[in-house]
Amino acid sequence: MIKRFGLQPLSFSLESSKEMVLLSIIAQSFFQPFSLDDNLLVILTALTSGTGVGFNRALLFLKEGERLQARMWLGPRSPEEAQAIWSMLSTPGLGYAEIVEHNRELVERMMETLRPKLKLLSYNLDAPEVKIPALAAKNQEIILVEEAREEPLVDDNFRNFVEVDSFLCLPLVAKNEIMGEIVVDNGITHAPITNKDIELASLCALLAGNYVYTTHLYKKVLEMEKMAALGEMAAFISHQLRNPIVTIGGFTSQLLHRPCDQEKCQRNLAIILQETKHLEDIIFKISHFLKITIKELRPIDVRPILQSIIERPDLKLKAENKRLILRQAEELPKILCDPVYFEEAIVNLLDNALDVTPEGGYVYIRAFPQNRKWLRLTIKDSGPGLDEKMREKIFTPFFSTKENGTGLGLLFVKRVMEMCAGKIEVQSKPGHGTLFKLYFKISEEKVKP
Amino acid sequence: MKKILLVEDEKALSLLYEEELEREGYEVVVAYDAESALEQIRKEKFDLIITDIRMPGRDGIELIASIMGLRKDIPIIINTAYQSYKDDFMTWAADAYLIKSSSLDELKNKIKELLEKSSS
Repeated sequence: MIKRFGLQPLSFSLESSKEMVLLSIIAQSFFQPFSLDDNLLVILTALTSGTGVGFNRALLFLKEGERLQARMWLGPRSPEEAQAIWSMLSTPGLGYAEIVEHNRELVERMMETLRPKLKLLSYNLDAPEVKIPALAAKNQEIILVEEAREEPLVDDNFRNFVEVDSFLCLPLVAKNEIMGEIVVDNGITHAPITNKDIELASLCALLAGNYVYTTHLYKKVLEMEKMAALGEMAAFISHQLRNPIVTIGGFTSQLLHRPCDQEKCQRNLAIILQETKHLEDIIFKISHFLKITIKELRPIDVRPILQSIIERPDLKLKAENKRLILRQAEELPKILCDPVYFEEAIVNLLDNALDVTPEGGYVYIRAFPQNRKWLRLTIKDSGPGLDEKMREKIFTPFFSTKENGTGLGLLFVKRVMEMCAGKIEVQSKPGHGTLFKLYFKISEEKVKP
Repeated sequence: MKKILLVEDEKALSLLYEEELEREGYEVVVAYDAESALEQIRKEKFDLIITDIRMPGRDGIELIASIMGLRKDIPIIINTAYQSYKDDFMTWAADAYLIKSSSLDELKNKIKELLEKSSS
């Protein structure tokens, strides 16, 4: 006998312990798309939701340069608002996603009036005398403040902002580096902050610190990828342009420095003109590639498009002495894409497939529904196939095995697939040809017979 | 007369090199891809080989490896638009690595230098 359980527990039972609820809220945040604001919101939610640690309010600071800057405040502003929110949040069966969504709206609503106030809460961590709350971040220690009115170490600005006597400062630290700070309080219920609250809150702070840290890393990686792509692009453009430029320069120099007869002059000029056209072509292709944007996805009927593609004269010419075979289901659901880009992408793949297929070989293109959600379109060639090294590289910009390849074709296909929310997979082995699998989202709209 | 094998797939460019090198007093044989280059090497004796790196079929780096296997004593010049292959250790086997330029002076000088070295 087996029992099945959903992967994400969607609601919390009120009997679960605080620790369990807290961990499950945070664990579920890993299922969410990667966004620093959202992930931090999850942590703030975990700290403030009645079923989590249960503080009333949480204020987030992030370190920007040498300053600690207030960024986000989560919590009700008055006991009435608190009552409304808490009764809403304690609705049995309310899921994590709803709580976060609710809090996102709350934060957005509050931020309008809060932003100017938060802006003023900014502390230089390098100053000779750092006050609370920034002191906690500076010293990398948790500070519990009680009777804030009497405490000279608390910044006046901050005291006036939170209007509360007791609060807890949690530094956000990762790899010994200060990332920010969270300040929590019970400004509405005025419940005392217990040792257990501090323990749980410090766990949240630990995770929040790492969230911020990984986000920084992620941004750096993105930046580096961009730079690497830029470098590759520069290298590609320079060597694509170099051959025609060298040819033009060389023949021009012959014309300039050596006497030549009419016939040779004409020939040199013709070559120069032809290479200039080649340069134009390269520039056109690059700018065309950079321009792809699909403004609106439309339901499109692929059957007639595929049929017309295999009848295109340019492909027919390429398919001479080879066989280009289209197989598709009698009825195909519409897919979401842009018809022009769809056609260009398929032509690109067929073009490649025909290029590598030897005379007498086959290229198959098949379109069948995979299930109710996806339509699967496959293109199979009988070319030499790709080894693992090449397979990894085929989608990198400017990688090409063709003499005059720009190395942008497959990247174009990939970009189109991304913009249609589809997927592209490649299967290939040396000696076994290459199979591209394209998955397109099926549109709700039915194809009318 | 010294005989040079030029491996270059760009037709216009190979014409330019052919004319310019013939003017310098060399006999030039052009091969448009690596396969026919190898065939030529098996058939004839050359004093020097100039090759590009990326070409249809077998690429230039493999070609160099094959040439080294056939005849180790022919000087080889890589003349290419690809700066990035300079760091590829396979290209170290060549005697010179030149980036294509519309001025052929550097190429001509290199050819002269290598031919003098190999005949001395």
